[in-house]
Amino acid sequence: MLRRLVRSLFLVLGSLGLVILWPSGRAQGVPSFGRQTGLECSACHTVWPELTPYGRTFKMTGYVMSKSQKIYEFPPPLSGLFQASFTHTDKSQPSGAAPFNSSANDNVNLPQQASVYYAGKILDKLGAFMQFTYDGVSNAFIVDMTDIRFADTTKLGGKPLVYGASFNNAPTMQDVWNTGPVWGFPFASASVAPTPAAAAVIDGTLNQQVGGLGLYGYWNNLLYAEVNFYRTAANGYPQFLSGGTHVTSLVNGVAPYWRLFIQHQWKNQSLMVGHYGMVTQIFPEGETRGNSDTFTDIAFDAQYQYITRKHRFSVASTWIHEIQNLGASYALGNTGNRSNNLDTFRINFNYSYRCPYGTFGGNFAYFNTFGSRDEVLYAPDPVSGSRNGLPNSDGFIIQGIYVPPKWEQAKIVVQYTIYNSFNGARTNYDGFGRNAGDNNTLYILTWLMF
Amino acid sequence: MGKILSWTLAVALLGTAMLAAAGPAKAQVERGKQIYEEKCTLCHGSDGKGNGPAASSFSPPPVDFTAPGFWKGDVDKKIADSIENGKGAMPALDLSGKQIREVIDYMKHRFK
Repeated sequence: MLRRLVRSLFLVLGSLGLVILWPSGRAQGVPSFGRQTGLECSACHTVWPELTPYGRTFKMTGYVMSKSQKIYEFPPPLSGLFQASFTHTDKSQPSGAAPFNSSANDNVNLPQQASVYYAGKILDKLGAFMQFTYDGVSNAFIVDMTDIRFADTTKLGGKPLVYGASFNNAPTMQDVWNTGPVWGFPFASASVAPTPAAAAVIDGTLNQQVGGLGLYGYWNNLLYAEVNFYRTAANGYPQFLSGGTHVTSLVNGVAPYWRLFIQHQWKNQSLMVGHYGMVTQIFPEGETRGNSDTFTDIAFDAQYQYITRKHRFSVASTWIHEIQNLGASYALGNTGNRSNNLDTFRINFNYSYRCPYGTFGGNFAYFNTFGSRDEVLYAPDPVSGSRNGLPNSDGFIIQGIYVPPKWEQAKIVVQYTIYNSFNGARTNYDGFGRNAGDNNTLYILTWLMF
Repeated sequence: MGKILSWTLAVALLGTAMLAAAGPAKAQVERGKQIYEEKCTLCHGSDGKGNGPAASSFSPPPVDFTAPGFWKGDVDKKIADSIENGKGAMPALDLSGKQIREVIDYMKHRFK
């Protein structure tokens, strides 16, 4: 019933969007934001989706900045997205091992994804970033990223205070920096290639599986603090936030999330140092009641930006330390330890150059996930398993991007991921003869917003 | 006849020089006004006082173009540099050199 509703909503909004958007030829980011503000993509983004200081303020103030000064926007703030991709791994995956019944190699996904956005001012101080997606890989219509905000400004100690509330369905979706799991590099990656088995709960596990309501404040363009409380979207009032998604991580009770950062801007540079975290209780796989496991995520992050009209450079990094208390899963025989640790480190360097021929850019990233040995949790299995029970994976991502001139809503991405280690080893990592380098992935993505 | 022609030509040349010295054409200022209203009003306000609808979100606040201190020094260069490269929270804007000139002319006409 919910899937039919999501599909219907997608078709209705998509049709309405085409009628509204077709005559528009202007390059405008998430185009409804651009129409609303009258500004180009590059005002709010270095290369989208990375945000500039102005873009961060736009998001912080609830997506409602508008040149029209009307209480509501008409036509409604609709935008669209279309992605097509090609994925190649250095070695084909065995028959049946590829995700979503994809081919063993050289997958063309057309579309990889098609989305409709409701993104912009709803009413006065209330705005939203809502995405409804057809996933061409899994052949599913889903309620995708959703962030509905109320925001206002006042003064505290004579300095401006932006304060607000966010209702969203993915921890760190509401964040304005590009260090965290949702908005961090590489922004998009192959969904039909093998990926490391282990990830912290805060690192994407709960996306579209939960709904959360929180409060935040940003004082004097300097200090930010936020608390948010998430619960499962499998039932209850947040259920529509997981529309079309099968909820596999069932959260027990309420999961608190917090975020702090301090930032400073001077001339064309900005620097942020921050901390975020979350405590989540999740029922073991297949269970809906009784005891649950507890995952405590403690993270630190930092980002530096240098932005001029032609040159844009940034460095972003995050480290997540997760403490896993797995008593419930251990009792069921799902893990070999009562507790584990898992650490995730990522850093990326980004540069783009704007000229009359378009925007040319490149990214270089290093990632490393390492943690406790658990031979039950990380067991041998073709492609996705671990021979030695370790979750350790590390490697590099090299990426080139191109955005055409006067058409900033299009982007071409060529991305190559190189694995030094995968699920615990460099050679024969899965116990079935597959090496880490066999999963090196070439990913070509074309990305169009309208 | 020759004298009349010479005087007519001299008057015409003098008039053209005076018009050029009088400042930018009205059409140029009008184009600058359109660009300012499209790109700048949101933060700097339609009256240039730095009190646009989005102004309260920024610290420091958007510049007040009506403040006497703003118009000291090489203002043309200061404005052009901010538009071309951005400054602090202010983003760089995609305007041509001609458009930047038109916005500066409008700002001088309206706020100075």
